Amino acid sequence: MSFYIKYFPIAVVLQLIFSELLTFNGYQANIMLLYVILFSMPLGNTSQSTLNGFLVGLFTDFVLFSGIYVGASSLVFSICGFWASKISFNFAFRNFDIYWISFVHLGVLIYSLFRYDFFFFNDFFLFLSNWFFVTYFTCFVGFILISLFSLKDKILNA
Amino acid sequence: MSRVQLIFQNYQEKITLSFCLLLSFILIFNNDSDSIKNAKINSLDTFSFLYQPFNWLDNQLFLNKKLEVLSSENLRLSLENQVLKVHETENIRYREFLNFKKRENIDFIGADVISKGIIANMSSLLINRGLDDGIVKNLPVLSSKGVIGKITAVSKSSSEVQLISDVNFRLSVKIAPDEVEGIMRWIGGDLCEIAELKKISDIEIGDIVLTSNLSIYFPPNLPVGEVVSIFEKSDSSNRVVTMKLFSDLSTLNQLFVLLDEVEN
Repeated sequence: MSFYIKYFPIAVVLQLIFSELLTFNGYQANIMLLYVILFSMPLGNTSQSTLNGFLVGLFTDFVLFSGIYVGASSLVFSICGFWASKISFNFAFRNFDIYWISFVHLGVLIYSLFRYDFFFFNDFFLFLSNWFFVTYFTCFVGFILISLFSLKDKILNA
Repeated sequence: MSRVQLIFQNYQEKITLSFCLLLSFILIFNNDSDSIKNAKINSLDTFSFLYQPFNWLDNQLFLNKKLEVLSSENLRLSLENQVLKVHETENIRYREFLNFKKRENIDFIGADVISKGIIANMSSLLINRGLDDGIVKNLPVLSSKGVIGKITAVSKSSSEVQLISDVNFRLSVKIAPDEVEGIMRWIGGDLCEIAELKKISDIEIGDIVLTSNLSIYFPPNLPVGEVVSIFEKSDSSNRVVTMKLFSDLSTLNQLFVLLDEVEN
């Protein structure tokens, strides 16, 4: 749990840097989603991880100005926190990447359903392209951050 | 151990998840309530200091580039202004001659972008002007190049701007010079689609798109973009036009909020 709290300010600062300075054609990497997924993975207590996700989501919606519905981030982060913690019982070094990448897909999909609901019903291709673009940008940034902070080892040994 | 405790112990994780999802849905479905709006605006007001260092850094990093762009823009506008001044004198003379009503001047206030939001592909942003500066809900917001959105929420010292790139944003526009009117919506990147245009209308690629006279919140003739493609739907009597926005939504830093129009 201390591991979860320790990295929270870093995640907030990184999110602010990415949202203010490192946007790509208007798209941004969702660092808070990455944070919830990565730091829920070693948590054995699923209830706690779900609650953490919910609270981080509330913080994101109210303090970090998410720009969409208040409650959407807490919904996404609760679900991702729940499932990311569930896999802690089946955790192995070799499938670490596949786990977090799958959860990023899931999280961005739920976000996109709120953000691009209009496209989902009217232009499904545009919905898919937005979903994949945001997902892969977030994954790309995720790979860099995991290597930079050696998160893989830290999370597996937490 | 009581039966309830036993159930809670066995299904603790699922109960917690259901509780969190329920609370999230309650929040989502109450987004339009005043209490949620006020809480959001107050928290943004309180925590807007978080964005200041990043805004400052952003401004410093791109200052030279901005200066360069502004200088060239300034030169272009000065030259254009000379030509327009001649036309203005002529226009005023004709309007007086035809006894037309005098046009109204547009008053605006400059604002800095505090935050572009943390959600991928911006749909709204936060500016450092609020009730104290005379900002109210639904005022139009422009960049130096054209319309970019409208005010959706206002606090004492900051406001939320709904951008054209929000999928729920619609704008009544007209295509010059024939003033064909239609409804504009964003479709991705810097492109928008204008629908409900009459098939018989005369539109060409490169025509300028302006706000129409039908909009409740936007005064007419504000620049929005230019036509880049035209296609006709076989199953409809309407035309659909794709337009490119004049403003680059990914590099917004300084904006202008149009206040109420003032009479000449």
